[in-house]
Amino acid sequence: MSVVRLIARDEWRMMARNRVALIAIVLLVLLTLVATASSFAHQRSIAALRDRHAHAADTAFDAQPDRHPHRMVHYGTFIFRPLGPLAAFDPGVDAFTGSSMFLEGHRQNTANFGDVRQSSLLIRFGQLTPAFMLQVVAPLLLIFLGYGALARETERGTLRLLMLQGISRGQVVRGKLLALGTVALLAATPAAIGLVAVAGQPGALAWPILAIVLGYAAYLLLWTVVILLVSTLVRRGRDALLALLAIWAVAVVLLPRVAPDIASAAIPLTNRFQTDVAIARDLRRMGDSHDPDDPHFAAFKRSVLNRYGVSKVEDLPVNYKGVVAVEGERMTSSLFDRYAAASFAAQAGQNRLVAAVGLVSPTIALRSLSMAAAGTDVAGHRRFMEQAEAYRYALVQQLNHLQAAGVSYADDSATDADADRRKRIGADHWQAIPDFRFVAPGGGTLAAAALPGLVVVIGWLAVASTLLMLATRRLGAGR
Amino acid sequence: MNLLRHELRLLLRQRLTVIALILLASLTAAALAAGMAEVARQRAAIAAIPAAQAEDIGAVADDVDRTKDAGSAAYYSFHPTWDAPAPLAFAALGMRDVSPYILRVRALGLEAQIHDGDIFNPEAALPGRFDFAFVLVFLAPLFVIALFHDLVSGEREAGRQRMLDALAHGGRRLWRRRTALRLGLLWIALCAPFVIASVIEGVSAVAILTVSVVALGYLLFWVGLSALIGRWRWSSVTNAATLAAAWLVLVLIVPTLANVAINTAIPVDQGSEIALAQREAVNHAWDIPREDTMRRFYANYPEWSDSAPLGTAFHYKWYLAFHQNGDDSVAPRVRAYRQGLEARDAAGRTLGWLLPSVGVQALLMRLADTDLTAQLAYQDRVRAFHRRLRQFYYGYLFRDRPFTRTDFDRAPCFAPPCR
Repeated sequence: MSVVRLIARDEWRMMARNRVALIAIVLLVLLTLVATASSFAHQRSIAALRDRHAHAADTAFDAQPDRHPHRMVHYGTFIFRPLGPLAAFDPGVDAFTGSSMFLEGHRQNTANFGDVRQSSLLIRFGQLTPAFMLQVVAPLLLIFLGYGALARETERGTLRLLMLQGISRGQVVRGKLLALGTVALLAATPAAIGLVAVAGQPGALAWPILAIVLGYAAYLLLWTVVILLVSTLVRRGRDALLALLAIWAVAVVLLPRVAPDIASAAIPLTNRFQTDVAIARDLRRMGDSHDPDDPHFAAFKRSVLNRYGVSKVEDLPVNYKGVVAVEGERMTSSLFDRYAAASFAAQAGQNRLVAAVGLVSPTIALRSLSMAAAGTDVAGHRRFMEQAEAYRYALVQQLNHLQAAGVSYADDSATDADADRRKRIGADHWQAIPDFRFVAPGGGTLAAAALPGLVVVIGWLAVASTLLMLATRRLGAGR
Repeated sequence: MNLLRHELRLLLRQRLTVIALILLASLTAAALAAGMAEVARQRAAIAAIPAAQAEDIGAVADDVDRTKDAGSAAYYSFHPTWDAPAPLAFAALGMRDVSPYILRVRALGLEAQIHDGDIFNPEAALPGRFDFAFVLVFLAPLFVIALFHDLVSGEREAGRQRMLDALAHGGRRLWRRRTALRLGLLWIALCAPFVIASVIEGVSAVAILTVSVVALGYLLFWVGLSALIGRWRWSSVTNAATLAAAWLVLVLIVPTLANVAINTAIPVDQGSEIALAQREAVNHAWDIPREDTMRRFYANYPEWSDSAPLGTAFHYKWYLAFHQNGDDSVAPRVRAYRQGLEARDAAGRTLGWLLPSVGVQALLMRLADTDLTAQLAYQDRVRAFHRRLRQFYYGYLFRDRPFTRTDFDRAPCFAPPCR
């Protein structure tokens, strides 16, 4: 058996003799299993629930009776953000963003009913997911098991004995690395089993899973290296433990909270009230369809009349009210797009700032990697919101065109007792409108979004490994 | 007293202790500053409402003035509501980052409006806010661990314990003295910045005192736990590891486990189902005789039943009536939904009696008026305001009174200052 493996085996024997450590490992594995199972069940039930709701909403839309098309513009439709299979591993912001959205004409509604507003205050303590266990808890376990790996040998003078037997410093460190690295792998096993289960689901993608596996492996390996590095540099076991606990508290607990606060203060978001008022203001500047003297709509009317070569709206072959509705929706929608893009750009700016802090805290980098690969980050939410808006616009315009073509101007303006019946068009039109289908991003897109985080974590690993190599040369010196 | 001063000198000679105390005080100060900045931002956003609202409603008034139609006024006028942060909100921001504190409503169906959220960055909200509550609940115990894990074991390992026990003022009194000193210093590092911030923010003396006592109690819990583990006469390093593991379990793992358990044990009818049902009820009105709608509305609101009968043309009183009918039709579900949320919240708070971390967080959020109770109270105020709004517009619609420019100024206002 090689020397490195012998040293590793000796370290494992030490861990096995430490009852607290053993209990901790068993607890972590059990807890990760619970987290994986519950997160998996949660994702499946949520995905099924949203699917059921979406189906009910689609059926309700198709089942609407003969109606005036504009009634359908206001009847609108509900859509639900589907939850990808990888959300079982890392649900990301899913609980914090609303999952359902009401789409209607002239208005852009918010996504509502996020879990964060439907749960007890405990949800703000964190969510029990495999991602949480590996990001936060596993490093702490590794610290408990590994802080003394080298400090102990130096402290007790056993390192010198080893070296007298002709074992090199490098061999000692590699042996400890092997021992602790194996424990890290063991800690990640339950989550890995969960990933395998996810991979078996339809729609699961290979590249993002690979990115997640690589990212978390590098992250846990990074902790292993950092722990041994501190254990090499610090002479006393207790100091090594306190230093590692401090590093953990800052990198895993403190910075991920402080960074977003700095970012939100640096790049403030415009709230919904101000956005709505600004959109209304811009819309008034562009033109007001209610105002008979409005220049924009007066010009628009002239152009429509010219196009059809008539002099009165009554003579148009299409319903002028529907034509105005199309124009009005085009105008509001362009504003919605502009303001939503600005808000998402500001949020992206905030997240870039947080990512910059991620250069100091690999946990932040790993978190963004993990959410990006799972498609549960802000970008994933934005993807849903943009597709929702595109669908809303297409739906409303389709209905407006139906009004222009299917309801005569005379009927649309009539107020007699029978007018309501004449304004309606057949229910088959609603059934012909396609349902909303969220187009999930491809594996390549998700993996590419995870790449920056992966680079940071691997970069950290490279730096820490180099430092460990340098520190190894001086191991035990000065004693 | 002299002995205490001596102990203090001894303690402050330890680099770790001094660094820890300064670090805790700076983190507390930073968290308080962050909380105060956030609350100031929220106050500024609320203060900016009247100007923007005046501009917006002015444009609506210009439009409506052409027709003097009260229905158009009711349809196009959005009325702002807001939830001003309580004086203590800066210390525990609670749910204020994910729940809206400004919400505009109009006299149409409220159930389609009241669940709307504001714009926020979910990735920033995900890890939770960096506020005083976080420093107290999450970070302060780590500092207790750093200062207390070797209180006795450190002296034992240095070979001084027997001597200290044998001293005239040694033994238990010595440990008590040292414990009180460390605890006091930690408490001051936490509470001195807090008291200063509270005085600036105008927090009542009772609230300041309560939070300070709660902070002391929470620190005492962790000191007690350290003392308990210290009794087992393990080495300093084992003490530190055990305490850190206890922190992990009590502050992170049990709350997250309990969250899963509570959400499973208390299923809440998804809010989106209410929205779906309300929208069905509202839109169904277009397909049934309008008299049915009015009959149903008048049954609930007889004070308007003497209004003139509907003609063949569209009338906004019918439109508002079916919106209200839609709200009324989902009222039982809304109540059930709310009870479900309250039950979940109550279960979370009950856990607080067993788990100090959760208990302190819940208590701070309650004192700061940033918990679910406060959110629901805000919703209640919005509901009451919406009732007043409807009454106001009904007065024009059901009596066929024209709505002129000056009537916009008569509209109810959520809370002073109105305009």
